[in-house]
Amino acid sequence: MTRIGSTLKPALIPILAVITAFIVGSIFILITDFENLAKLGTDPAGALAGAVGTIGNAYYAMLVGALGDPARIAAALADPTPKALASAVRPITETLVSATPLIFCGLAVAISFRSGVFNIGVEGQFVLGAFGAAVAAIAVKDLLPAPLILLVGALFGVLTGALWGFIPGLLKAKTGAHEVITTIMLNYVAAEIIVFGLRSEFLRQEGSGQPISKNLAAFVRMPQILELPAIRLHWGFVVALLMAVVVSWFLFKTTKGYELRAAGFNLHAARYAGMSASGSIILAMTLSGALAGLGGSMEVMGTVSQMSGNISSGYGFNAIALALLAGNRPAGIVAAALLFGALRTGGALMQVKTGIPLDLLFFIQALVIMFVAAPGLVRVLYRFDRTRMPGGDKTATEGGAA
Amino acid sequence: MTAASPTLDESTVEVSAAERKALRAARIRGASLAVLGLFALQLSINSLDTPAVFTFWIDKQGGSAATISTTVGLLWIITGLVTGLTGIVQLVRGPSFAWRRMLLVILPLWIIATLATLLVDKPANMTGVLAGTLTLAAPISLGAFAGIISERSGMANIAIEGKFLIGACVASVAASTAMLVGGEGANPTVAVLIGIVSAAIAGALVSLLLAWLGIRWKVDQIIAGIVVNIGALGITNFLYLRVLQSNTQFNTPPTIESIKFPVLSELPVIGPILFSSGPYLYFTLIVMVAFAYMLYRTRWGLRLRASGEKPSAAGTVGIDVIKIRYRAMLIAGLLAGIAGSSLSLASAGSFQMNMSAGRGFIALAAVIFGAWNPIYAFGAAMVFGFADSAQALLSILGVDVPPQLLNSLPYITTIIVVAGVVGRVRGPAAAGQPYDQG
Repeated sequence: MTRIGSTLKPALIPILAVITAFIVGSIFILITDFENLAKLGTDPAGALAGAVGTIGNAYYAMLVGALGDPARIAAALADPTPKALASAVRPITETLVSATPLIFCGLAVAISFRSGVFNIGVEGQFVLGAFGAAVAAIAVKDLLPAPLILLVGALFGVLTGALWGFIPGLLKAKTGAHEVITTIMLNYVAAEIIVFGLRSEFLRQEGSGQPISKNLAAFVRMPQILELPAIRLHWGFVVALLMAVVVSWFLFKTTKGYELRAAGFNLHAARYAGMSASGSIILAMTLSGALAGLGGSMEVMGTVSQMSGNISSGYGFNAIALALLAGNRPAGIVAAALLFGALRTGGALMQVKTGIPLDLLFFIQALVIMFVAAPGLVRVLYRFDRTRMPGGDKTATEGGAA
Repeated sequence: MTAASPTLDESTVEVSAAERKALRAARIRGASLAVLGLFALQLSINSLDTPAVFTFWIDKQGGSAATISTTVGLLWIITGLVTGLTGIVQLVRGPSFAWRRMLLVILPLWIIATLATLLVDKPANMTGVLAGTLTLAAPISLGAFAGIISERSGMANIAIEGKFLIGACVASVAASTAMLVGGEGANPTVAVLIGIVSAAIAGALVSLLLAWLGIRWKVDQIIAGIVVNIGALGITNFLYLRVLQSNTQFNTPPTIESIKFPVLSELPVIGPILFSSGPYLYFTLIVMVAFAYMLYRTRWGLRLRASGEKPSAAGTVGIDVIKIRYRAMLIAGLLAGIAGSSLSLASAGSFQMNMSAGRGFIALAAVIFGAWNPIYAFGAAMVFGFADSAQALLSILGVDVPPQLLNSLPYITTIIVVAGVVGRVRGPAAAGQPYDQG
């Protein structure tokens, strides 16, 4: 136990957290499976088999939905037509497509957590970034060639996202306004701004009564990685991976990054050492918003092509779970984003195949955050010996405790 | 984990700096009020002869109506004078001036004058708007009380939204089930009570989980709050889609009848607005008075506030901070659960996905806007409830005010208030910080 514990130490609590969360999730699937529960009195063995079957089917459907159907992969290998190839790789590419915004948002959350500020506003910065990118792209659509529209859109996405992070950063640094409160409120304001903006003729799709923008794909689109029918994977995913490298380099190899982390560890000590505390807070929030905004622009110009109020489906909130799970390490965030992306796409197939709502995953995510944030609770659940675990209470959260 | 408490520690800031800040804030506040007063007077010039007519139902909806006739200009003159004079007094008296009380007069004046300006030549009856304001304010206030009691004890509480959702879902299911179990002879009042009590218990359990994570496991209280909010949304959506959507019998609770007070509800104009409302409003008012009394006038309140301001000192004089915090969170959960039950039992008549729709965060806004004081928080909830209620009226009458603007009002005011641009409000000093006993 000791040896396994020390080699796997950083990953042990997160892995156990995920496993435990799924077990609890399974319990909820079972107690809402009334047909099966009704059998419990008359046919306990059948009910047990049914329960195992229900859980097995659900999680198998999730796996197939996230990674690919073995039958289709075999068919594609036997006869590699574009259509067969596409249907074989579609699940895994969709996982990567879902992971893309999660990586951006996870990095955004991590940068703020590392600096000791609690950016709950990544959701708002992401959607407003997407909105900024869409507005800019529509504004210049007749003036510039497509590649430049893409650049302008991404730039404006970054700027609007950065602005939406800068405001709470500035308020925090200058007035002490708690960033948790201001960012929660700004999330709602961002949503209202978007609905308001989408009422305008300039943005709204012609002939649509819904608050939905013109289709951006007509004039700008992130280039695809695979030219196959119905595959949405675009270079935004690669940009996200690059950003993970950049953030890692910034945080751990530059002076500014060091200052941010110092502020995160101990604001007073950092200030005493001559670093600007307010500067760190503003910089961290702005960078965090910029990353989220870039993610939003990739989403609107790459994946969905149309701005609407529900462009995000909670990426910014998922990112909080994800960053905690990854201990705010960029590499861990990429891994966790792939896992969450797989859950999202797999969950969608699970919903279609077995009728188990995708929303269960949000509950499971909440449990994951809970267990990761309370490593002591996991230790008690799995009864491992406290004294034999070096690091004591801090194992999983030392990254997050920034 | 210290990630949630990266606040610039205010205790290290020198007193004189704080005083300078307060003086500057008072000046900004005074000057802005004076300017706003002049602006209101300016508005009155063009509308001196524009009639402003407010009608109210005297006894009941659609019955005979009472009318208050005045001019828009006069309303703006009153508003301008009161605002401007308050600004001048503020400038003269400096930070010691109790400006927050004046807001309770100034804000309604602005709202009335603005409404009169928007409603020129539109036949509008105010009874519905005012009654709606109170109805909408009730759950927001209860949520705010839940926030105040937990924050006053030293526990950060951003999970009101999650508790609303849980309360709404449990109330609907419990009340519907009670009706099913009761069969033909089921008493709807009993079923509703079962629903409300179940929601309160569910809210309390969630709240205790929050407290347990924060106190026993030292989970950052903000993170614990996020866990509850995300988890509540996930699990209620899951239950709705998997169970309630196809088994509607579990989601058709009896509706709550409004209570008409004998005699009082017969009062002209006021009766239909104030004394014919749902039980939640009366409950809210009772809780408000009791809570304000207990918070400021009893030993319990003193101990509660001590736990939130300086837990180490409270612990030294023998106060059991941990126990106080658990109890505060228990009460907060009961209140938030009851508030949640009003969403499904009183307003909608069934549970719908994400039906709290951010009201829990508006309650949080009311906590801050109301400076952690139950009575001010109720005032704040009324302002937010009015914005919500007036918006419905304006859209029916076809007045072109973007609803998004009114929707953003609670959020923007909260940001302004926490930023302290117009006067700093300070929450309990130790809210969100874990307490180590011993």
